[in-house]
This record gives sequence, structure tokens and C-alpha cells, in this order.
Amino acid sequence: MPFTDSFILLSGMLVAVSILATVPADRSGVPLLVVFLGVGMVAGADGLGGVSFESVADAHLVGTAALAVILFDGGLHTPFASFRTGLWPGLAMATAGVLVTAAVTAVAGVVLFGLDWGPAALLAAMVSSTDAAAVFYLLRARGIEVHARVRNTLEIESGVNDPLAIFLTLALTLWLAPGPGGTAVDLALMLVRQIAFGAAAGLGGGWLLTALINRLRLAPSLYPLLALAGGLTVYGAAAVAGGSGFLAAYLAGLIVGNRASTARGGIRRFHDGMAWLCQIGLFLLLGLLVEPTRLLPVAAEALGLAAVLIVLARPLATLVCLLPLRFEPRQIAFMSWTGLRGAVPIVLSLFPLIAGVDQAEALFNRVFFIVLVSLLVQGWTVSPLARRLGLIIPRRHPAMDRVDLTRPKGHELVTCVLPAGAPAVQGCVADLDLPAGVRVLAVIRRGEPVAAEPELPLQAGDQLYLLLPGHSPALEERFQHWVDTVATARDDAEQAYFGEFTVAADAPMSAFAAMYLGGDAAGAGPAESVGAFVRRRLRHQASEGDSVRVGGVMLTVREMEGERITQIGVRLPRRGRG
Amino acid sequence: MNIAALLSPERVRYGAHATSKKRSLELLSELLNEDATGPDTRSIFESLIGRERLGSTGLGRGVALPHARLPGLDAPVAAVLNLDTGVDFDAVDRQPVDLLFALLVPEESTDEHLRILATLAEMFSDTAFCEHLRASGTDRSLYEQVSQRLVDGAPA
Repeated sequence: MPFTDSFILLSGMLVAVSILATVPADRSGVPLLVVFLGVGMVAGADGLGGVSFESVADAHLVGTAALAVILFDGGLHTPFASFRTGLWPGLAMATAGVLVTAAVTAVAGVVLFGLDWGPAALLAAMVSSTDAAAVFYLLRARGIEVHARVRNTLEIESGVNDPLAIFLTLALTLWLAPGPGGTAVDLALMLVRQIAFGAAAGLGGGWLLTALINRLRLAPSLYPLLALAGGLTVYGAAAVAGGSGFLAAYLAGLIVGNRASTARGGIRRFHDGMAWLCQIGLFLLLGLLVEPTRLLPVAAEALGLAAVLIVLARPLATLVCLLPLRFEPRQIAFMSWTGLRGAVPIVLSLFPLIAGVDQAEALFNRVFFIVLVSLLVQGWTVSPLARRLGLIIPRRHPAMDRVDLTRPKGHELVTCVLPAGAPAVQGCVADLDLPAGVRVLAVIRRGEPVAAEPELPLQAGDQLYLLLPGHSPALEERFQHWVDTVATARDDAEQAYFGEFTVAADAPMSAFAAMYLGGDAAGAGPAESVGAFVRRRLRHQASEGDSVRVGGVMLTVREMEGERITQIGVRLPRRGRG
Repeated sequence: MNIAALLSPERVRYGAHATSKKRSLELLSELLNEDATGPDTRSIFESLIGRERLGSTGLGRGVALPHARLPGLDAPVAAVLNLDTGVDFDAVDRQPVDLLFALLVPEESTDEHLRILATLAEMFSDTAFCEHLRASGTDRSLYEQVSQRLVDGAPA
């Protein structure tokens, strides 16, 4: 079976090379997705490998399945708590944002590049959604903490915006494809069905899957597999019934991720791996499929369209959706720039190829080029931009690992390495102030376990073994707050970001005003606390890093526990500036 | 205003001993009332402790910058205190505080006072500078180093 053997050899090698390529790529900041795409292109028919892969149908199958897994994983990692700040702006971006982006791009395609309305609209629809895989990866990169409201909005947007882009593409494909097109009523019904069936399958399937995971006694390795199979089933059920499978997969992941009480860590870790494999496989495959020599003829035009999309369409969409929701200009600027395009547009551009739409191949090449530009230009610059705009909270979190225990069921073992500068290393075990119910089991010092006696003084580099009792969102928030305040390094960067002083959020605003505002309480109520004042002035659910200026003084939300503000940073006016 | 005029040699103490945050603030209140011309020690202490109730003035790394507004004060006045062993000051980093700079400003607010405070905070977040102060050895040397830095201004 020479084909079988060489196929296995080739796929193993390509994936291995992609994984190895992440090491230098990570160091140089090259977006990983571009690396995978590049490996595919080099291996492909035009490249050194000379591997010929032309099956659009196979690419579509693999691409769709991979996207379903990536979205399911995205849902698994989205806590319900992130909806508090990100739901409405995320939904606005996923609906109105997609429409505005598509409309502006389509008009620019016709006016600036002389495309016909049909192909211009089709192309615009394909590139109108923000890529979940790229956004999740960039915002969850180890060690950086992006402003929560911004991050949650982008994650929810990219998690739920594909259905609309897919619908627009399908509708336009139907309309442009040879044969009878649908009427407006058919199309409207199709949209309703996509969303309704997608949501129903996702929520119902997710609930059912969670119940199965929580009730069944399985070998530990089978829980993650059950979750994966369930996620794919939910996708398939929704899609077969005419709903949006991607929406369903995301919602099912969301429910399992938040509601499963068994094997939580195992499911997540497994799906992290699966999501990686899917991203690698997907981009490799798309890299193999494209013929780079055919990209050149469309390069100039595609570059122009990418520019329109990046500097005009997406910023306009972001502005329209987020300005009314009181985002700061720098946040809007950042979110405009984080509109990464990824695999979805490329997979979508396979639809017209399959349906036999006129000029479908040229469309595919253009879309491919636009995605490449977006991934390269934006993917490379998103993190530095977030830092420049002050949207990264400067905190060095401890390195943590979480392992779920099957006996007793629902308990979690958390290991946490205390960094130098963490408040915890100033005291002993008894001073840790862990949330009620959380216990220290042991301390590992220089590789050796030490009994966690209450009087044991802690040192930087100590590894804590903590036992968390059964999962609950409230405990999770208290534990996160503990990590932020006690186990995270406090350093100069933090002071520079939040201001020189810290006040308790429950301190009375009147006392604060007497000290810093010359007694002018800036319209605060008689008994209003500093935290309540800030919350009221923000006029939206607060996130750490949100700030309010009163007189010359800047008040910045420094610490929150769940949705409650606990500490406010105070930045005083400087000499020589306002 | 000239912020070097905030300090006088009598209001600087090196290597003092205190066992608590409260005691260190009492010591600072006594220093601030050295010439016994302004408000009494008790009301100085009350105003400093009142500010601590809003949140600790510990800056981290063993440094604190207690400050308050006080009726009856004509001009801002400061004191510096170094402790032989640090005291728990409820600072965000929980590090014991052994270097304290206290600032009292008149009740009538001006932005200038806040700017002085910001300059001081910047000055005392310079770790190398604070290490020099801790190693200064005598009241006089501590005074000279701090006032020299106040004259030079904090580096940009």
C-alpha cells in the first residue's frame, strides 16, 4: 500500500514540522497560523514538496470539521462571567459589525476595484467575520492579560459571528450559482433557521452532553472523547437540520465548559490539543490547496481590498457598534485592529468553487491573499499594539497547573509557583488568606516536598499544592481574586499603570474628595463609595483597567472580585503636565 | 514652590524602632510637630491614620508615603523616618515597611500639593535611591540624601 504509507509519512512529517516551526516563530513573533499556512504552501504543488492536493471537497470537509472543533474549544474556555462585560458589545459586533464590514468592503470592491456587484458582495461576505482561532490564540497567549471587557467582547464576537458570514455567503452563492435562486422570503427563512436551529441544537445538545458527562462513570480518558464526539454531533445535528453548526458547536462548548463538574481539566487540556491539531491541519491543508503562483495575478487587487478591509471597513464597523456602548477610543482602535481573518473565509470561498459559480477560483485566490495579509500584518502587531495602548494589565501571574481529581469527584488539584514580588512570599502558610474551602496540601521547595505547616515561611519559587473543593463559579471567582492579589507579583509596572496610590473601593467618596479633590465630591452622593462612584461614572460594567478622570486625578479600577470592584488605583497629576 | 523647603534636619530620623504601623505613624507625627508651632501631634496623627483608612499609603518594596490635609497648617511640611526593622503596613505587596516619608499639606487644596505628592511617589519608587537611604547610617546623612534629591528633582 504505497499510497497509505506515504500518506501517513507525509501527514506526520508536515504536522511535526509545523509544531517544530512554532519555536522560532514564537520567538520572532511571526503569527503561528501564517507559519502553518507557509509550511503547507512550501510542501505544495508549487513549492519544494511538490505535493499535489486539489480536492476542494476534501478540503471543505476537513476544514469544516476543524472549525467545528476550534469553536467548540473556544466555547469551553469562555466562562459565563465574561458575558457580564462582553455579551452585548460582542453580539453587536457579530451582527451589525459583520454587516457593516461586508457592506463597506463590497462597495469598495465595486467603486475602487471595478468588480461586478455579485462577486464583490460574495467576496465581502466571505471576509466579513473575525476569526475565532486567531483571536483566542492572541488574547490567551501565556502571561498577558488584556483588558477584560475588550477581551470578552472580541472573544464572544469571534465565537458567534461566523453564522452571519456563512449565511451571507450561502445566500449570495445561491443567488449567483447557475440554476433557480431563492426568493427573499426563502433567504429570510434560511437566516432564521440557521440561528434558531443552531442555538437550539447548541443549547440543548450542550445541556444533554453536560448531563451525560456529569452522571456517567467512565474511564477518565473517555470524558474528553465523549465531549469531542458530542461537540461534533451537535455541529452535525444543527447543520443537517439547516441550522448553523458553528453556532451550535460554540454554544455546546460554552455549556460543557461552564457546567461540567467532572473531568473539567481533562476535557479542556484535551481540547486545547485538539484545537491546535485542527488549526495546524486546517492551515496546512489550505496552504497545500492554494497555488501560490496563481496568487500573483490577483495580488495587487487583493492587497488593496485587504487594506480597505483593515483600515476602513472593520474600523467603521467597530466604531458604529462600540461607540454607543461607551468604549474608549483606544479600545475601539485596538478592537478594529484585532479583526483578524482566518480559516473561515478560506473555507467559505470553497462554497462557490463547489457550486460552480463564475470566477470562483479568482475569488478563492483573492480571499486567500486577503487572509494572508490580515494574519501577517495584524497578527504580528496585535500584542505590541495592546501594550502601546495600555490595554494589557501589567501583572505577572504565577505559573499554574490544574488537575481534576476523580476521587473525590469534582475536586481539583492546583499547583502554583509563587513568583518573586508576590505578596504571599512575605508571610507564612497561615497568612495566605485562601478562599474558604481551599487547602494547602504541600509546598514544594527546590524540588523537595515540605509539610505545609501554618508557620512555614514562604519563599519565591515555592510551589503550592492547593486542593479546590467541587467546582462552582463563585468559588472560581474568589480563587481568581486570590491569585491576583496574593500570588501575583506586584511590581513597578503595576504602579505605573494604576497610579501611585491605592484606595479601598468601599471608602467614602467624600473622604477621598477631601484629600485629593479639594473637597469637591464631583457630584458623588453623600454616602457614595469610591467604587460606586467609579462604577456610576463609567456607565457600563467595570473591568480592571477602566479609568475615570476627576479633576486632575485619574481613578483606575485596580482589582475586582467577580463583578465587584475592590481596589481603586489613584494617579495624581504630574509636574509639567495636566 | 520649592519642595526642598519641605524638610528640615530635625524632622528626619534614621534607624528608629517601631513595632507597628500605628507606632510608626506616631513617630512621624512627633517629627512633623518638631518645632511645635502648628497643629498638635495628636491631630497630625489622627489625620494620617484617617488617610490610611481609605487604603494603605504603602507604595510597595518597603516604602510608604503617609500624607494628609490638616487645618491650621500654613505650608506643606514633611518628615522622613527609617526603621531598624520593617512593620506591617497593609501594603499591596505585603512587604514590611522600613522607609517612610510623611507629607502634610494645608487644608486648602491646590493642584500643586498633589503634584508634590506625585513627585515624591516617583522618587521613592526608585529602588536604588531607597537602598542608599537605608544605608545612610545617620539622621544627618539621611537628611542630606533626601534633600539633595528633592533639590535635583526626580529623574525623568
